[in-house]
Amino acid sequence: MIKIQHVSKSYRRVDALKDLSLEIPQGSIYGLIGPNGAGKTTLIRILAALLIPNAGLVWFDGEEVSKTPALIQRKVGYMPDFFGVYPDLTSVEYLEFYAGIHGIPRKKQASTVNDLLELVDLSSKRDALVETLSRGMKQRLCLARALVHDPEVLLLDEPASGLDPRARVELRELLRTLQGMGKTIIISSHILLELAEMCTDIAIIQGGQLVLAGDVEQVTRRLDGGLHIEIRVLECVPETTEALKEIEGISNVTSENGDVIQAEFIGDERALHRVLATLITKGIPVVSFAPRSSGGRLEEVFMSITEGGSPS
Amino acid sequence: MTFAALLTKELRLRLRRERTIWVLITYLLVMTLLGFLFISRTSAYNSNSVSTLGLGLYTLLMFVQLFLIMFITPAFTATSINGEKERQTFDLLLCSRLSAFELVAGKLVAGLANALLLIAASIPLFSLVFFFGGVGPAQVFQATLVFVVTAIVVGTFGLFCSTLLKRPPVSIAIAYMFCVIWVITPWLLSFLLQLSAPFNGSVQGSYIFLGNPILAMISTFTFGVGPPIGTVSLFGTSLAPWITYAIINLLLTIVLLLLSTWLVKPYPISRLSRLMEKRPRKGKVAATV
Repeated sequence: MIKIQHVSKSYRRVDALKDLSLEIPQGSIYGLIGPNGAGKTTLIRILAALLIPNAGLVWFDGEEVSKTPALIQRKVGYMPDFFGVYPDLTSVEYLEFYAGIHGIPRKKQASTVNDLLELVDLSSKRDALVETLSRGMKQRLCLARALVHDPEVLLLDEPASGLDPRARVELRELLRTLQGMGKTIIISSHILLELAEMCTDIAIIQGGQLVLAGDVEQVTRRLDGGLHIEIRVLECVPETTEALKEIEGISNVTSENGDVIQAEFIGDERALHRVLATLITKGIPVVSFAPRSSGGRLEEVFMSITEGGSPS
Repeated sequence: MTFAALLTKELRLRLRRERTIWVLITYLLVMTLLGFLFISRTSAYNSNSVSTLGLGLYTLLMFVQLFLIMFITPAFTATSINGEKERQTFDLLLCSRLSAFELVAGKLVAGLANALLLIAASIPLFSLVFFFGGVGPAQVFQATLVFVVTAIVVGTFGLFCSTLLKRPPVSIAIAYMFCVIWVITPWLLSFLLQLSAPFNGSVQGSYIFLGNPILAMISTFTFGVGPPIGTVSLFGTSLAPWITYAIINLLLTIVLLLLSTWLVKPYPISRLSRLMEKRPRKGKVAATV
C-alpha cells in the first residue's frame, strides 16, 4: 500500500503539486491522468525518491520515502517519460549494465536478462544495438530495464506516449502480465481512454490537485455523467421528491409522469444503495428503483473537468 | 559489483566511439611529426652528439605530451555527469544501488583510462629516445609520474565541473580555463615579482610554483650534472619539485573527488544542513548517500 499524504511541491514560483493525497492499493494498476503540466511526472519522481516534496509525506508499506530513499529505490522500478538509452550498447549489454548497478550477481545476470528479454518479446533483438530498435521496442526495453531488479512497484511515466495501436495493445497485455506477477503498477498518461482500458484504479490530477480518484468503474461512471434513476412510488410523490433533494449526489429531480420520479445521480454503488435505503427508511412506498447510465461522453466530460472545475 | 558494471559500460561506450580512435591516431601523429621534424632539423644544422640529440628529442616529446594531456583529458571527464543528465539517463543511475562515490569514481577512472591509453600508446615513441641515449630510466619514470598526476588532477577537475555545472559545453570551457590558469599563473606571478624585486633565479623557497606541471617536468630533467632546479621545502622536508607537485596535486584530487561525491546526488545543500543538524546530537558524522 502506498500512501500519499498532503504532498505539495513547487519549483520556484510554480506549484506542481498542491496538498495532494492518495492511496494506492497493493497489486493495482493505478493510472495518474491529467493534462500536460498537471503534476503527474512530479508525483512519480517523488514516489521514486528522486524529488523531495516541500510538504507532506509519502509512505511505502509503512516506510517514509524521504527518510529511506535507498530502500525505496530498491522496491521501485522507474521508467521515465523519455527513453534514456545508451545507443552504442546492445540490448543485452544495456540490461546487463542495469542489472550490475542494481547489485545483481554476475552469475545471475545472464538468466535475468534472458528472462526479461523474453518477457518483453525482444529475444530476437538481444544483440541489436539499442539505436537500431523501433520506438515500441525501445519502450519495451526500458520496461525490461525497470524490471531488472524485480521491484515490487513499477512507476511508468507516459509509457504509451508515441506508440502505435499495436504497440499499445502489447504494452497493455504486458502490464496485465506484470500485475498477475503481483506487482503494483503506477502509470501516467494524459489520455483517459488509454488508461481506462488498462488500469484498475484512476486518479485525475489537474493543476497539481486531485480532482477525482477511485476504481475505474467508479471514475468512469462519474465522468460518464453519472446515473439516471427512475423511481416509481405509490402516491407520496411530493414527499419522495423532497426526500431525494436532500440526498447527496442527487440532482435534477423531476416528476412529469404521475407516480414516476426521475433524478440524476453521481456517486458509487454504496451511495446508490443509501438513496434507496433513505427512501425506505422514510416510509416511502417504492415500487421500482431503476438506475441506468445517463450516457455522457467520457472524453468530453474529462476535458471539461481538466479545463477547470470538478465533476460534482 | 556496481562499480565494475559502471566501469565496463563506460569503457565499452568510449571505445566504441569513432572519436576515441581518431583522438589516438591524431595524438600519435602529432608526436611523431614533431619528433621527426626535430630530428631532421637538428641533424641537418647541428653537429651535436647523438646523446644531445636524444635529450633534445626527449625534452620536446615530454613537453608536447604534457601539453596534449592537459588539453585532451578534460574532454574525457568534463561531460561525464552532466552528459548523463543531458542524455536523461542520470535519474536511472540515481535509482540504482550505485553510491555517490562509486558513480564519481567510475566516471573518473573511465575518463582517465582514455588519457592513460594515450600515454601508453606513446611509449614506443619514447623508446626511440633510448636509441639515441642521453636519458636515464629514472628520468623517464619521474616524467611519467608527472604525466599521470597531471592527467588525474585535470581529469578530476573536469569531473568536478561536470558535477557542478548543468551544461556540458560550459563545464568543458571552465575545465580548459582551469588548465590555462593553472599553467600560466605561477609564471605570471613570478614575472610580477621580478618586476617588484630582483629574482634570484632559483625556485628554492618559491611556493608559487609548487603545483605547476611545467616546473615539475623541468625538475625531472638531468642535464648531465644533477637537477637544474633546487629542492622545495614541504612539511619541513626538502623534496624535488616533481615530488611536491605529485603530493600537492594528489591532495587537490582528493578534495575535488570528495566535493564531486557530495555534489553528484540531489539536494547537496539540504543534505549538508541535515548532516549539521545530526552532528551535535549523535556526536559523529552520519553516513551519507
